[in-house]
Amino acid sequence: MLPNYYQFYSPIKILSGSKAVSNIPYEMGLLGCKRAMVVTDKGVVGAGLIEIIKSAFADSDRRIGFIFDEVPPDSSNRIANKLAKLFEKEQCDCFIAVGGGSAMDTAKGANIVISEKSDDLLKLQGAENIKADLKPMIAVPTTAGTGSEVTKAAVIYNEEANCKMSFVSDKLYPTMAVLDPAMTATMPPKITAMTGMDALTHAMEAYTCLQKNPVSDVFAKGAIELIRKYLVRATENGKDEEARLGMANAALMAGVAFSNSMVGACHSLAHATGGVCHVPHGLANAIFLPWVLEYNSDKVPEYVAELSGVLGGAVDYLEAKDQAMVTVTLVRNLLVRLNQLSGMPIRLRDAGVTEDKLPAIAKLTINDGSLILNPKEVSYDDALSILKKAF
Amino acid sequence: MECTTQQRACPLRSLPFYPVIQSKAKFMLVDTMMLFLGSAFEVASKYVPELKREMSDWNDGRRFALCVLPDGPSITLEKRGDTVKFLGRGVQSPDVAFFFKNLDAAVPVFVGLNSTHNGFAQGKIMIQGNLAYAMEVNRAMTLVLAYLFPVIAFKHLFKAPPRLGVSGLINKAKVYMTLVPQAVMNLIVIMKK
Repeated sequence: MLPNYYQFYSPIKILSGSKAVSNIPYEMGLLGCKRAMVVTDKGVVGAGLIEIIKSAFADSDRRIGFIFDEVPPDSSNRIANKLAKLFEKEQCDCFIAVGGGSAMDTAKGANIVISEKSDDLLKLQGAENIKADLKPMIAVPTTAGTGSEVTKAAVIYNEEANCKMSFVSDKLYPTMAVLDPAMTATMPPKITAMTGMDALTHAMEAYTCLQKNPVSDVFAKGAIELIRKYLVRATENGKDEEARLGMANAALMAGVAFSNSMVGACHSLAHATGGVCHVPHGLANAIFLPWVLEYNSDKVPEYVAELSGVLGGAVDYLEAKDQAMVTVTLVRNLLVRLNQLSGMPIRLRDAGVTEDKLPAIAKLTINDGSLILNPKEVSYDDALSILKKAF
Repeated sequence: MECTTQQRACPLRSLPFYPVIQSKAKFMLVDTMMLFLGSAFEVASKYVPELKREMSDWNDGRRFALCVLPDGPSITLEKRGDTVKFLGRGVQSPDVAFFFKNLDAAVPVFVGLNSTHNGFAQGKIMIQGNLAYAMEVNRAMTLVLAYLFPVIAFKHLFKAPPRLGVSGLINKAKVYMTLVPQAVMNLIVIMKK
């Protein structure tokens, strides 16, 4: 059904393919940038991926000003503030974020502080608080993925309040996304599975939530098809370059979809679980996805049902509600397969969540901004019920 | 229904000053409904236990505003103790504000034909400020709307239309009986300012 009104915006230049990273200095020149701040984490450095970035600058007049590798698994406001100060000290003029969602969000957070000339990121949290234009940001994902390379949101952990903060603004779109299969080749199977499920969640929530529109639906379905084709392959064999590039493109397309259609209850639960129990975002999404699809399926059965065909398992002549259950089953089967291949947990208890934390997670869930766009109302009791089922 | 209204409005558009009249009419409608919504919030915060429970965790002095861009009507409310105080017109240093992009975005919401969550989904309402506060205020506002609008409007306003029950209906009657006097008092206060 066509929405009464919708908006779609995706201004990012995309470079995808083998040795895509080698184009970065040229693109910096087009942006008028000379000195980049590379934002990454120690895992990426340890995997040798920064050497690939450095080698791209070997015969260029553009420079890497500084390599900041202190991004933690959950990006925090303290780190973003520190990065902002370093950016100015090193006189850089653009960001190159190399890593997963945390590196991207840290770079976005620091970018906000610098461009708004603030001394503290906390003062700018929320939606539409960013007025200034941000510095150019080139996103090079090493996971596939959060889709942060094409989104207008940044989720950063508030160390003082012990919760995750959301920043949403059209200004937060990176300038460019560079998908190079070499950058995701070293991802271990468990991370491949978790980040792949994150991308699947983005695509499925973008397709089923209130803000869905026909343009984002195309990206969502395209992403799900690529995930169906490549996620298990990439998890089984990390050196499969086609599978790695396929998953990187899937994560990007899912990112474009959900950046314009937003997400729903699955992400609200995942944000809350990440905030309270520090469960990785992709893993939390993977665990909650089938439960939330099941929960929503009596409100939007046709949308959930349509995804069974994209996942390759549509059954003829079923009513929408029953077809929707087929979708849920297909997702559960995928989770079981990924669990067998990589050991990725598929229950909250296996992810380190204890039962006494569930009420606190439910309380945070209902205050998460994503929930407003979930097609079905979610109260505290509903959130707790889903958490108990997923436990 | 919308097509019929548009068709009937077509000849009107050729009248002189029609856009101005239309714009003024929308402004006055939204301004009036905002006054009633603000007053309903005040009154409901005194009589509705679910609203008191929802607001029990809020920090005292929390302010929230509703505003229509660019120069449309706006109101601000503040939590004081366990009730809400209508501060009057204008955006008065709120912790969280809901901005409607224009009058055309605001009118359906304030006449009960569109919900706030659909407004967000359509990009017609933006939140400025703390998102967690915004979610709490939105839940409280949804409760107030259940006590302000008749049941016939519920399917447009809520994802899951609330069932008020006997005590809810009694509270709704209390809200209706005290709403108009409260709105008149608030209007007098606004005019004095």
